[in-house]
Amino acid sequence: MKTGERIQIALTVLLCASLVVPIMLSNHSWPTQARDYLLEHARSDTGATNTVSAIYLGYRAMDTLGETLVLLVSVTGTMAILVKLGKEQSDEESISFSLAPEKRPTNRLRTHLVETVASKLGPIVLLFGFYVMLYGHISPGGGFQGGVIVASAIIFLALGTDVKSKLTNTLVLSRIESLSFLFLILASISGVFFESGFFGNPIKSVSSLSANFIILLNIIIGLKVGTSIAVMCIAMMGGSHDH
Amino acid sequence: MNILALSLILALGIYALFSKDLLHSVIALSAISMLSALLFTMFRAPDVAITEAAVGAGVSTVIFVWAIRHTQRRDKEES
Repeated sequence: MKTGERIQIALTVLLCASLVVPIMLSNHSWPTQARDYLLEHARSDTGATNTVSAIYLGYRAMDTLGETLVLLVSVTGTMAILVKLGKEQSDEESISFSLAPEKRPTNRLRTHLVETVASKLGPIVLLFGFYVMLYGHISPGGGFQGGVIVASAIIFLALGTDVKSKLTNTLVLSRIESLSFLFLILASISGVFFESGFFGNPIKSVSSLSANFIILLNIIIGLKVGTSIAVMCIAMMGGSHDH
Repeated sequence: MNILALSLILALGIYALFSKDLLHSVIALSAISMLSALLFTMFRAPDVAITEAAVGAGVSTVIFVWAIRHTQRRDKEES
């Protein structure tokens, strides 16, 4: 190892230590004001038992819109690179992890083991993802977490099944993604017309369930996150059927 | 238990850094994600644990494996 590299590593360790060690050694108590306020008011303000959901979809829904935009931009950039890459090396032979007799023409990543495990696991994971997404207001989880689990399930299904279903078709998935983002924007501005402000709850008086707007936002965000990550991964594995 | 999990995470991280085979590094990173998900569950942050398990062990592994497949798997034997 060269001396330059050693100096780099030593500097990095020193910098990390100077950031982390004071926090670990200090006796200063953590601020409790916001925590106490949220413990007291979060449930009655937003109707969500899960305080994390109450914060990121009730109090700070604006930040959630920003996060969704960040995801949208990153997926758009990745897809732009991938589309170009696919045109250049479409007929290039790539290295495969599957054994020679197991090679399938449809997808080189697919082996018997992957096929068996992924196709059996996929539907169960999909169900769990929707559970996490729909019950985000009362149990741990929420739109983002459920969406990522749904995305994993769609990747499992794309890897495991030979049947071309609508669930693994990138055209259908990207349409769901665009529609759910449209619905997110519509839901965010609809509060303006019901006197509750931007990202206010427009359907508070409709039903007795006071967390109904959080459930709606969780479903929309979950679909958005799930389909966008799934589209990205399926396009990476070379399984896009549209272009 | 915490110390055991944390030291395992540290060991796996060092292995992932210095391993010559990038696929082994990716599997080590995936194991780190699983262990941190376990730690998050023990520290009563189940929603962070769900995210860590799904993103770290699921999606990012797929993306890394894809990237390795399109570049090269082994480090060149040099230095």
